[in-house]
Amino acid sequence: MNKGMAQEPHAWPTSDFSRVPYAVFTDADIYQLENERIFRGPVWNYLCHEVELPEVGSFVTNWIGDTQVVVTRSEDQGFHAFENSCAHRGAQLVTAVRGRAQSLTCPYHLWSYSLKGELMGVPLLKGMKGKGGMPPSFQKSDHGLNVLQVQSHEGLIFGSFHATPPDLKAFLGPHSLSQIERLLVQRKPKVLGYLRQRIPGNWKLYNENVRDPYHGSLLHQFQVSFGLQQPTMQGGIKVDADLKNTWNHSILSATDKDNQALVAQAFEGTGKFNPDMKMADPALIHVPLDLGDGYKTTILSIFPTLVIAQVDNTYAIRHLRPKGPDEVELHITYLGFESDTAEQTHDKMLTANFIGPSGYISLEDGEALRLVQQGIRHRRPGGHEVLEMGGVGPVQDTDYLSQEISIRGFWSFYHRIMGLGGAQAEGKSA
Amino acid sequence: MSIHTEAIRSFFNAYAELLDQEKFEAWTELFETQDCTYRVLSRENQDLGLPLPIMGCYTHGMVRDRVAMLAKGVLTYRRDRLLRQVTNVQCQPLSESMVQARANLVVYQSSEEGVSRLYMVARYRAVLRLSGENWRIKSMDVVVDSFGIDTMLAVPL
Repeated sequence: MNKGMAQEPHAWPTSDFSRVPYAVFTDADIYQLENERIFRGPVWNYLCHEVELPEVGSFVTNWIGDTQVVVTRSEDQGFHAFENSCAHRGAQLVTAVRGRAQSLTCPYHLWSYSLKGELMGVPLLKGMKGKGGMPPSFQKSDHGLNVLQVQSHEGLIFGSFHATPPDLKAFLGPHSLSQIERLLVQRKPKVLGYLRQRIPGNWKLYNENVRDPYHGSLLHQFQVSFGLQQPTMQGGIKVDADLKNTWNHSILSATDKDNQALVAQAFEGTGKFNPDMKMADPALIHVPLDLGDGYKTTILSIFPTLVIAQVDNTYAIRHLRPKGPDEVELHITYLGFESDTAEQTHDKMLTANFIGPSGYISLEDGEALRLVQQGIRHRRPGGHEVLEMGGVGPVQDTDYLSQEISIRGFWSFYHRIMGLGGAQAEGKSA
Repeated sequence: MSIHTEAIRSFFNAYAELLDQEKFEAWTELFETQDCTYRVLSRENQDLGLPLPIMGCYTHGMVRDRVAMLAKGVLTYRRDRLLRQVTNVQCQPLSESMVQARANLVVYQSSEEGVSRLYMVARYRAVLRLSGENWRIKSMDVVVDSFGIDTMLAVPL
């Protein structure tokens, strides 16, 4: 960004990030800069879960910003990741989304690579009958795939394009570490399936959505109607030291059922509250929470594109794959656990109806993002979001849900890592 | 061709038209009330042998709930007009009164301002039972090729 552009319409007029320029959701130059400074910057990008690479040679593909990467398990049981582009002429190397291979061979000129991304074979390296072939100066070791640094934490595999990425545990922060332990370690996860949603909205709108407990009991009438989430619930947010990662949670207590009058008051004038709504078969809302710790919803949002979510009795890894400034693929890995009984697995098939593109709760987030992108696409230049719910000023943890404070935390870190001007980033208030 | 193919083709036509016209309650009456399932599945999960559905109803009550949330305004969803085309209907008798039916499905979505786009490409895999003069759904799986779903899938296929 040049300095002139930073004023209008890209200005950040408040130092607490209670105003966010709409241009960050629509501007192609900003999107380009995000690919350089965030996705190729000093961050850890989610790649996959270890259980998706069960054997030597297992591979999966994923996307980091606009770049497709291949993630493998090699002969020494290590995990590796590289750009899905041949070192020779750049062809896409792997076309399957996932699979198993002993080595990876480019379909074009059959250059082949080890599971670590090293160039192993070049057909006609010495030419044919003494003619042609590569020059003597050609060294296979100079032509490996573009590899990423890879580290894993408790089964979650991350990659970084950056030469000196931060320490992974420090990057995740204490709330992430304890929630990963709670959701993905105390029971061994297994993949029950994938869900994909192509949302015509900017990838950061989803980052806002998962850091926004304010909308939870307003947009999602299903939750309110059937007691999954209500404005009267206990809950709150915790943000990490540099404000980029958020854990928000809600707890349903016995008294929430008695708070219908308060709920009705919260919805006054909206015409949306429907306390008499009944389900013909409420089996899915009666599935017990099998963790037994009382948390009804816990959403762990890790910068830049990872969300580990427990919504009722569903457990899922959500990953954002930006497709330009105005579209994002939301990729969901839906989890069960090795210890699940047949009944628990069946229950997870029932509660899957809460989430994903057809989820009674989650489908509405896709629509909300679409509506925002529609709304801001050709708005009068210079407009800003208003993020004041829950208070303005320094970003802090809260023990209430009617707030958008953690969204401001996201923007604070985003603004800093993008090197944008016009606002003073603040640290977390004690 | 099975003796029932014409009847099954008519059944799918009626099924698609009820959904296109948002006559959701009438659509639920095409299902057997005692024992029925309705699932939308992604081809990706099918190919991987993974059980997760995109949408899964395992009782008649759950089928009714799926569309009640739409009819009663509980869900906020994209209000495009949908048009379903069902082709390549085939069926195989399983017994005197039961058939396994297959068909292809293409769905277009049209916006409030009259712009149409392809929304969904899918295949029906159904078991239907003749009950009196009417065919009823015992199980209906809709296997979706376009599993990178545009925004959301609120209305059943």
